[in-house]
Amino acid sequence: MTTLEGLAHGLLVALQPSILIYSLLGAVLGTLVGVLPGIGAMAAITLLLPITYHISSEAALVMLAGVYYGAQYGGAVASILLRLPGTPQSAVTTLDGYPMAQQGRAGVALFTSMVSSFAGAMLGILILVVLSGWLAGMATSFGAADYAAMMVMGLVAASTIGNSRPVKSLAMVVVGLIAGCIGTDVNSGVQRLTFGQTQLLDGINLVALAMGLFGVAEVIANIQGADRHGPPSRVSLRQLIPTRDDVRRMVGPILRGTGLGGLFGALPGTGSTISSFLAYGLERRIARKPERFGNGAIEGVAAPESANNSASITAFVPTLTLGIPGDPIMALMLGALVIHGIQPGPTLLTSHPDMFWGLVVSFGIGNLFLLVLNLPLIGIWVSILRIPFRWLYPAIIVFICLGVYSVRGSTFDIFMVGGIGITGYALTRAAFSPALLLLGFVLGPLIETNLRRAMLVSRGDAMIFLERPVACAFVVATVLLLIWPVVKRIIPKR
Amino acid sequence: MQRDHDDIMWGAILALLGLGVAAYAAACYDMGSLRRMGPGFFPVMLGIVLAVLGAAIAVPAWWRKGVARPLYWREALGVTASLMLFSVLMGTAGIVVATVVTTLVASSVAPRGGTLWRVVLAVVVAALTWLIFIAGLSMSIPVWPWS
Repeated sequence: MTTLEGLAHGLLVALQPSILIYSLLGAVLGTLVGVLPGIGAMAAITLLLPITYHISSEAALVMLAGVYYGAQYGGAVASILLRLPGTPQSAVTTLDGYPMAQQGRAGVALFTSMVSSFAGAMLGILILVVLSGWLAGMATSFGAADYAAMMVMGLVAASTIGNSRPVKSLAMVVVGLIAGCIGTDVNSGVQRLTFGQTQLLDGINLVALAMGLFGVAEVIANIQGADRHGPPSRVSLRQLIPTRDDVRRMVGPILRGTGLGGLFGALPGTGSTISSFLAYGLERRIARKPERFGNGAIEGVAAPESANNSASITAFVPTLTLGIPGDPIMALMLGALVIHGIQPGPTLLTSHPDMFWGLVVSFGIGNLFLLVLNLPLIGIWVSILRIPFRWLYPAIIVFICLGVYSVRGSTFDIFMVGGIGITGYALTRAAFSPALLLLGFVLGPLIETNLRRAMLVSRGDAMIFLERPVACAFVVATVLLLIWPVVKRIIPKR
Repeated sequence: MQRDHDDIMWGAILALLGLGVAAYAAACYDMGSLRRMGPGFFPVMLGIVLAVLGAAIAVPAWWRKGVARPLYWREALGVTASLMLFSVLMGTAGIVVATVVTTLVASSVAPRGGTLWRVVLAVVVAALTWLIFIAGLSMSIPVWPWS
């Protein structure tokens, strides 16, 4: 199937009324949770994960993806109006977005963030189509050793790049890998680390783990803090219109931000948060007057917003074509696919063309929805910022309980969510990243299966990881990533 | 002498967890060979790595000043208790009672005083829950204590 045929096919899938509705639903819900500080895209996707059991795999993924990029749009609203990032991806946007709002240019800042997000997503879709076709073609020759090495590199990259304490991040990944071992071993049928609990035979439930780590832990951490801000400034439609100078300044940062985000989004381990920081840094470095940044420079809104949206689209490349999620949100997407019995990999493009191309086209449609809806509805989103968190979180807790219960009708799972939640909160408080725990949990069984298969193929010779060029490249990259933080500390700072 | 107590404690917990997993897996599951790895191989390996990482977190923290962070223990206990109450009450007392109790317990740790808004919230959330999950999605859960 050529790209054009694929897109035409995808258009047919994505324009089905049921898919359109879930795309719209996802986009609106995503914006809603993105706007609300204290609930991130991660928690929102987790809360919706139980629903995906009851709808088709295409609808499920289209909806979850809509939540993901919808949250990017919404996150910018809280960042600009309150200097509270609604999502980590929009944290950099506060640096120049909030000063713009204080200068009475909140409307222009919001317009810039939405147009940049839209442009970033659209160009990101192009990058996604090109890259996944190329990568899927290449990946058909990948063996078990290559996959295992690649996944290990992804985990190491996610824990070292952009983390101030890589040892703590790596520890979380390993805890996640161990948690992934719990349950029946696929190869031997032995029940591992279940301690006789029959409830754990199928392993820890992904939904229970994610709800505990993100839903419950985020609620606990935000009960006291989320309401400590002044009222947001009012924004009218007329204030949204940028000046000619604003538009001229936007174009370059959007294009550079999209390119950067598209590239880093597709790499395993580096996600949309990192690419938004990098895009901001790049703009400041090449600006003629860098001192403008931090004081309401429109480039400082356009670059990170286009980068994080572009990255959130291209993050699907490794997830769909290799079956390797690059960040925890993609790990949940992978989980949603596996629930439906679809194991993503290089053959996904040919075996599930409805899935792949439908999703690609729905990205475009969903982002169009967001642009068209959010600009006129901006007043509603702003007024949602006024809802106090204390009214929301008890309802969130009840929905978490029922969501977890609905997956397999087990009250034991609700109990588990409580235990995981308090552990997740304690870990977050001690500056550990529960997101990496989840990534390790999802990748663990895949790594173990591929490792065991690789060693079987090589008759127990570990040299297979150095003899195969692809695996060897990933092993070298992993070693470099592990050495880099040590080297950085030893070399004295200039 | 300032110490980073958080990191010392968590490093130690993780190291012990790693050792525990490695020892338990080595004792109870077949390690197999490199060629045919048994079910014990991967957990033992991971346990050892975790033990090393835990030590690498705890040891340097002995000579370093920690960061003071607020500990929301009331909030943590309130939220966790509300979840566990829901899990117990749902099957026995029905979803309406469970929702009201959970909402009241969860909102008891909110930063604002007062009783009225908590009661109103509990009733509203219970009504919404009934509308969405029973009337809308028709989940088969007991609604009332006598049903």
